[in-house]
Amino acid sequence: MNNQAKSGNIIKLITKQKAVLAIIAILFFMIFFPTNFFTSYNLLDLLNSASIYIVLAFGITLVIIGEGIDLSIGGTLCLGGIIAIMCMNAGLPIWLSIICAVLVGAFIGLINGFLVVYQKCAPFIITLGMGLVLTGVAQQLTDAHPVSPSNVKFMMIGNGMLFGVIPNLIVIMLIIFALVHILLRYTQFGRNIYAIGGDYEVAEYSGISVRKIQAATYVICGAMAAFSGVLLSSTLNTGSSIYGDRIPLVVISAVVVGGTSLAGGVGGAPLALVGYLVFGVMENSMNMLGVSPYAQEVIRGVVVVTILCLDSYSRKRKREAV
Amino acid sequence: MSEQLSLKEPLLKRIKIDRSAIVEFSKEYMVLFAIAILSIITIIIEPKFATIANLTNIMRQFGPLIMVCLGMTFVIIGGFIDLSVSGTIPLVVVITHSMIEPYGMVTALIAGLIAGALCGFINSLLILGSGATTQAEALFITYGTMVVFGGLAMLYTGGVTHYLTYMEADYSLFTVIGSGTVGIFSVSFLIFLFIVTILYIFQSQTYLGRTINLIGGNKTAARLSGISITKGIICMFTINGFMAGLSGIILFSRVTQASPTLGKGYETQAILAVVVGGTSLLGGKGSVIRTVIGTLLVILLGNCMNMLGIDVFMQNIMRGLILVSAIWLDAKRQR
Repeated sequence: MNNQAKSGNIIKLITKQKAVLAIIAILFFMIFFPTNFFTSYNLLDLLNSASIYIVLAFGITLVIIGEGIDLSIGGTLCLGGIIAIMCMNAGLPIWLSIICAVLVGAFIGLINGFLVVYQKCAPFIITLGMGLVLTGVAQQLTDAHPVSPSNVKFMMIGNGMLFGVIPNLIVIMLIIFALVHILLRYTQFGRNIYAIGGDYEVAEYSGISVRKIQAATYVICGAMAAFSGVLLSSTLNTGSSIYGDRIPLVVISAVVVGGTSLAGGVGGAPLALVGYLVFGVMENSMNMLGVSPYAQEVIRGVVVVTILCLDSYSRKRKREAV
Repeated sequence: MSEQLSLKEPLLKRIKIDRSAIVEFSKEYMVLFAIAILSIITIIIEPKFATIANLTNIMRQFGPLIMVCLGMTFVIIGGFIDLSVSGTIPLVVVITHSMIEPYGMVTALIAGLIAGALCGFINSLLILGSGATTQAEALFITYGTMVVFGGLAMLYTGGVTHYLTYMEADYSLFTVIGSGTVGIFSVSFLIFLFIVTILYIFQSQTYLGRTINLIGGNKTAARLSGISITKGIICMFTINGFMAGLSGIILFSRVTQASPTLGKGYETQAILAVVVGGTSLLGGKGSVIRTVIGTLLVILLGNCMNMLGIDVFMQNIMRGLILVSAIWLDAKRQR
């Protein structure tokens, strides 16, 4: 009986830390292939390129914990980069352009929050429509051509190194990670988000201003999506309306594989970080092995479907247990 | 005195009822007014809108999109949603194209339709298997299968576009579907009439069709009253897959090329058409006829914007805005 309990605990641990296990499994798998995967250059590059989407994942984590969803992050991301570059080309300094882009992102989040929270629209479908509008706006602004910044320094945000060793993006990601973690764990606002996601009505009756807080998560998410768009454009030194195509799906399933449930109330910044790393490591190793991009697309899709089905399945189990 | 009153009363009442009925009707079929207003505005600004050539053009455009919309109607009425259609279409197209040469066009056509239905069936199995009951879960899962199906189509062709006209084998069947006419009607329009009749009868007259409405209305109540939810879910997703396949074949015949990116954006246009038509996203309410009207509006809108010379990106914004406001109105009506 003791043994049974023990094995039960191990299974519980595995199901809880499945993202870490997946990363270890991929790393283990890669040992058998003679590639440059285990060089410090590649691993740093992996983390570097994942950082942008990890920032995006932090934003969406807040919304998902508060029992919402935002599929417009892809549109916000590409719009954020474009607006930053356009402001810069209009003569604004870099810091002001970035603030402009982030404000636009926050404004988009505000619209999403208003429609979802105050108008009671189903979040996934209304934000899907919002994403369409945003992509259209991005296309209209750039005429569907990529735009490049006139200021050379902009590129240094995404490609520069701090002290010549650590890439800027990783530093920025870690700072945001710390901020989001503190926000979620140690502030009243963050704890209220968990309460709302856990049980909306209980939270409401306990005197939490549920609507304001839920709307605020959308605003933060929009701002962060725009900021990661700025980072992406800075890394590639171009803003384009095609960046955000499949991003919502990948980032959301990354957050889910990290252990944040789409039912809300569970999750956190570390989980989002680990969750996206699964995708980052997977993508990098597939590139290293020379898998064709089309096959990669299929594999990514299959992984996403599996993850989301498992999430639904675990929720069903929970429902039946209750 | 008292007689006068009693005479007056029912009359007033009747007027009141009539007025509320009119309001109700206009609320329900706001789309029809929208279509009328849109057409009138366009005719005033651009008289070419009302020419036979343009109307035939509209009729032709009806072909591929309406099929997806009709299929999507069942899924949305059933309380789910299916984004995978824009992956199913290219997959069906490339499969059909590759089958024409070795097996002949009729086999290819049938294989394409079966492939479409199979895609839908896979979706339903995933949804049943994972025990998903909400629209959000269905949306995520089918978003994933969209990537898988689209990726498979890419993988199958290596990303290359094949042209129907370069083929050695006989492909006359596809030419007929794509650009054939019977009298003033295009063949694709006749296919549409045929399909919509069948689906209407299926939805309103058969047990299985009515089951879907009940499942969408309240799953628990449906289950408790002895309706097989499993059968209903499999049925609606398979119909949707089949219709996406049919749409793919019509689209393929019209553009005469098998590109793995064909049908992109159809899923959102279909949702737009279904919601604009008045089928509720909450499920349980709606019909194929409403969808036909909704699709007509979506296509007319595209045609009018083209006629008025609005550029393509602005059109995307307009479509998105209309989708958002249609969902918003739907949510408002349900509250």
